[in-house]
Amino acid sequence: MKTTNILEAKAISKSYPGVHALESIDIELKRGEVHALVGQNGAGKSTFIEIIAGSIQPDSGRIVLDGKEYTHLNPSLSIELGIQTVHQENQLVDELTVAENIYLYDLPQTRLGFVNLPTCIEMADKLLQDDLGIEAKSSSKLSSLTFVEKKLVSIAKAFSRKAKILILDEPTASLDNSGKKVLFEIIRRYSELGLSTIYISHNLSEIFEVCTRVTTLKDGKRIGSNNVREIDMNKIVQEMIGRSSLAISYDREQVKRIKSKEKPELEIKDYYSQGVVDHVTFSVQRGEIFGLGGLVGAGRTELARLIFGLDRKDSGNLLFEGKDITPTSPYDAISKGLGYLTEDKKDSGLVLIQPIFENISMVKLAKNKKVRMLNLRQERDDTEKVANQLAIKTPSIAQKVINLSGGNQQKVVMAKWLFAESEIIIFDEPTVGVDVESKSEIFKLIDNLAREGKIIIIISSDNSELVAVCDRIGIMQFGKLVTILEGSQINEENILKNSLGMSEKG
Amino acid sequence: MKPKKTAGEGKGKRMDQSLLLLILIVALCIITTLVNPRFINITNLINILQQISVLGIVACGVGMLLIASEIDISVGAQVSLMGIVLANIIQKGGEIPPDAPNAWLIEWSIPIAIVVTFIMGAVLGFINGITVIKSRAASFIITLGFGSVYTGIALLVSGGGSFMLFGRFETLGRVKIFNFLPVSILFLFGVAILTYVILKYTKYGRFLYSVGGNRMAAFVSGINTNSVIMKGFIIVGILNALAALILISRVGTALATTAGAYSLDALASVVVGGVAITGGKGNALSIFLGVLLIGLVSNALVIMNINPYFRSMTIGLIIIIAVTFSGLSDKRK
Repeated sequence: MKTTNILEAKAISKSYPGVHALESIDIELKRGEVHALVGQNGAGKSTFIEIIAGSIQPDSGRIVLDGKEYTHLNPSLSIELGIQTVHQENQLVDELTVAENIYLYDLPQTRLGFVNLPTCIEMADKLLQDDLGIEAKSSSKLSSLTFVEKKLVSIAKAFSRKAKILILDEPTASLDNSGKKVLFEIIRRYSELGLSTIYISHNLSEIFEVCTRVTTLKDGKRIGSNNVREIDMNKIVQEMIGRSSLAISYDREQVKRIKSKEKPELEIKDYYSQGVVDHVTFSVQRGEIFGLGGLVGAGRTELARLIFGLDRKDSGNLLFEGKDITPTSPYDAISKGLGYLTEDKKDSGLVLIQPIFENISMVKLAKNKKVRMLNLRQERDDTEKVANQLAIKTPSIAQKVINLSGGNQQKVVMAKWLFAESEIIIFDEPTVGVDVESKSEIFKLIDNLAREGKIIIIISSDNSELVAVCDRIGIMQFGKLVTILEGSQINEENILKNSLGMSEKG
Repeated sequence: MKPKKTAGEGKGKRMDQSLLLLILIVALCIITTLVNPRFINITNLINILQQISVLGIVACGVGMLLIASEIDISVGAQVSLMGIVLANIIQKGGEIPPDAPNAWLIEWSIPIAIVVTFIMGAVLGFINGITVIKSRAASFIITLGFGSVYTGIALLVSGGGSFMLFGRFETLGRVKIFNFLPVSILFLFGVAILTYVILKYTKYGRFLYSVGGNRMAAFVSGINTNSVIMKGFIIVGILNALAALILISRVGTALATTAGAYSLDALASVVVGGVAITGGKGNALSIFLGVLLIGLVSNALVIMNINPYFRSMTIGLIIIIAVTFSGLSDKRK
């Protein structure tokens, strides 16, 4: 009486303030299939697998597992039902042996209740070598393993629990070619034995190599499911982009800002940090909005941090109007006119428990070495002006930032850098966690800054945003700047294809 | 149109906690007065202020540092060690025979002792600060270790015994202006006002809040967070030096353990006052009220003729209640 589908997700919805992460999604997973889930950043893939793994509860919808229906799962129930997830980040314990890591959930014990390490190692050896064909010594400490080996160990851990459904989230992101081969071999072998796999990857060619079906998500909706044999890469990309449904109502007046004859004002020269950013060089002109596109993890934020002097780099110079201004620290960057609106405003942009005006004046105070005493009245009047310019909605500027909406918080971060008279501003994901209305406002403000002659770099994972606001867009992949799109080349399809490394050059 | 509140007061909820503390203090006064009317006597009130002056000065430093989210638990050991060195110098000075060639040192031993104490305070603060910054370890643990080291040095120097001043250094601790107002109270108020000004009206004070509120954001905003913390530890050391001078002057003798209890009492006071242990919250008023409450409780127990062994229990409970209260009101947000 076995059903053909081991898992059926029916009309699953999940929303967060301001976003529908998933909108009535239906996905079936057949026994023994390797089902790829693709979509752009923010399409809803992660939310979906978190729901199946039980760490997120859906707002509505049903999950049918092996014929039994559930409204939601929790992590221990999911595991009990045979669902195993291999997360993108390593979730192993460095200080334990490989064997202990694999069987951590249920370590074999001696009669006295101590860990029976020899048995554990024996079991792990059998699993790793005989069943999976992974070469890693199960008695060695995890910390002595390479990155690739660790990844394989976390995959082995998932297999140790007799999984029926295996969820792999970007499993190949840290694997080299031989590691990939091992993984694909394991997946193929176990699929024949009936294991069903949900496979998330940004690398579309892998999907053709190892998957049998592919489902495309976009903006929390399912676009389509196809057998891999009946679809090609271009079709998948088309589905991922879909009809251009611009999330923002703002449409920048396309001005030709760049006068190509003019020499560049800001030059980013050969930025390199081993394993993170790979010899990136580009230049930006005054009044220009330069976008940085690419997949999450392509090295864009890392590049911004290097430019701003937050992280140590192996090489790289920043030239402004021909002069070398390479910052050595955030303070140095600020005193040279740079501003950096970090990706995570709550972690590194704002002091949430401080009032708005104290947040706004922070950079300026740090920049101005001479000031020792505060002029509170003047500080409030001045910061209030900036706050009004940016239309920060608040009853009082003495309000704590924590009480503001996401959009207004982002404006406070902007106000902070404008108040410090930054000339070169890097925006890292400026609209994450911001409602639609504020998004358009924020882009209008950024556009105004460019018109005033400031130099702007925007990092965004929302390709429609990049298309809407940028004059030129650099695309990064694996730490490299692979191309710079301009003029008519700027469209979502080109951004996505280049991000995925599928550009047809020539 | 816009409320006329500024800077420190912008932290609205903290005012509530200060208000609550004030109510608690008044209530405590009323109850104690009912039990023993001698409590409200002006002499007793001045006595209380004199009793809390050393703790108050230490707590101001500890409080400022805690606003930047760093803890110095070595303050008691610092005060004790400086007290030993101070008393040692003064005692040695007093033992010089008047006809000895170095007799000029008799006169000079006190100013020398004062200068040495302040330099020592700055140096101890520097040692704490540089270690915390360079090791990137929790300041609580680092200063716990140094506290032990300082106590050990004090024990070695004193050989476990005490140094006596024989009435040679009484001005700071014992003299009363107009035979009424102890000098030490003036120092307490002076330090409290200085703390108020630093926290509210200086850029440095603002940076203490930023560093404590969100260190990463402060760093990205160009604030030299290490230097802010470094200065904080040095300020604590210098205030400890002042506290050591007043304490030794009042007690007239120095032991290696004279001020040991100040570490926890100072931390307790500022936490009870409403400085968040996670940093970024609190002000001079909250530090002062916290110290006052702790001082009042100690005095009230004596005045009400309650077994003094209840003191540590009572203070412990007050800390727990205060922190639970502020934890709950934070969560309600």
